[in-house]
Amino acid sequence: MAATARLDLETLADPELVSLAQQGDPEARELLARRYRTPAFRLAMQLVGRPEVAKDVAQDSMLRFFSSLGRFQAERPVLPWLFCIVHNRVRDLERKRRRQRVESLDSYLADSGYEPVSAQPDPETKAQRRQLQQLIWRALNLLSASHREILVLRDYQDLSYAEIAAVLGIPKGTVMSRLHAARCSLRKRLQASGEDVPMLEETSRSSP
Amino acid sequence: MTEVCNRTFDSSLLSGFVDGELTQADAQQVRVHLEQCPQCRGLVTDLQQIREAAMSTPFPAPTDEEWQEQPRSSASLWSRRVGWLLVLVWLAAASGLAIQGFLENTSAWYGKALAVTLVGGGLLLFLSVLFDRLKALRTDRYRGVKK
Repeated sequence: MAATARLDLETLADPELVSLAQQGDPEARELLARRYRTPAFRLAMQLVGRPEVAKDVAQDSMLRFFSSLGRFQAERPVLPWLFCIVHNRVRDLERKRRRQRVESLDSYLADSGYEPVSAQPDPETKAQRRQLQQLIWRALNLLSASHREILVLRDYQDLSYAEIAAVLGIPKGTVMSRLHAARCSLRKRLQASGEDVPMLEETSRSSP
Repeated sequence: MTEVCNRTFDSSLLSGFVDGELTQADAQQVRVHLEQCPQCRGLVTDLQQIREAAMSTPFPAPTDEEWQEQPRSSASLWSRRVGWLLVLVWLAAASGLAIQGFLENTSAWYGKALAVTLVGGGLLLFLSVLFDRLKALRTDRYRGVKK
């Protein structure tokens, strides 16, 4: 009986789940937590750049998420609201101190026990992509907080401009110009890194 | 790279183009320009490559077992707050009594000076933290967005 009830809960869409959680259903709360703590962690990781800090931020954000659940309209999408909480936590943290971000993605992947899902047919392209990902991550660490956060929300999290505007609390018209400035500054950092950046037009053309 | 870009629109439209966030008219304007400008074409390709690389970057998250967050009930939060308050009141009273006793038993001037420095220092620290908090509260542009 309990098993079928749980199964039913799993298939519920967010609005129903949120309103059940608002009524204090512990299973609905648990399920919401399981559904959303991973996205919260990933955003925190991309913003703060350290897995152990990101975990603290994500846990704290989930607590805030639940303590403010009563004020949330169940039919609204959960993610932008949660991301807004995560972003605010990161802001609080950065106001207190500037934290060093992990330089190497590979060491983070090794520590987390991550293994690639399957080997791609073309190992060379894969290695190049890996290198580009690593270089982008390192360049991201050198950007200002406002450039980093907008890049993370668009290019790592794939949020729409409207969603980014909601998370950052800025006008929608500002999103495109700030994002473009951030991207150009990231590209400049990549080109100035002195490394052979794979897959990019300008740098590969100018490199011997 | 000697050709000069004769673009007539704001360069941020190129990002809007990459993201598919432009109106039809703007997208068309960008498309026409890209056909004749290798510089902007290179930029757009790079932005697309950066975006694809970023999106496909793996970010492994802790497993379900590694999370400790149990939604704390408001009852436990309140009892914790009241607990801290009681401990602080006790500390304040105890140190007040201790200082009073010290003053009564010490007639030397340096004893009094020591006590005054301690109390004064503590008070100043408290005030400085209080002012900082109040200022942060007033100037926090995110307070409206929160939660």
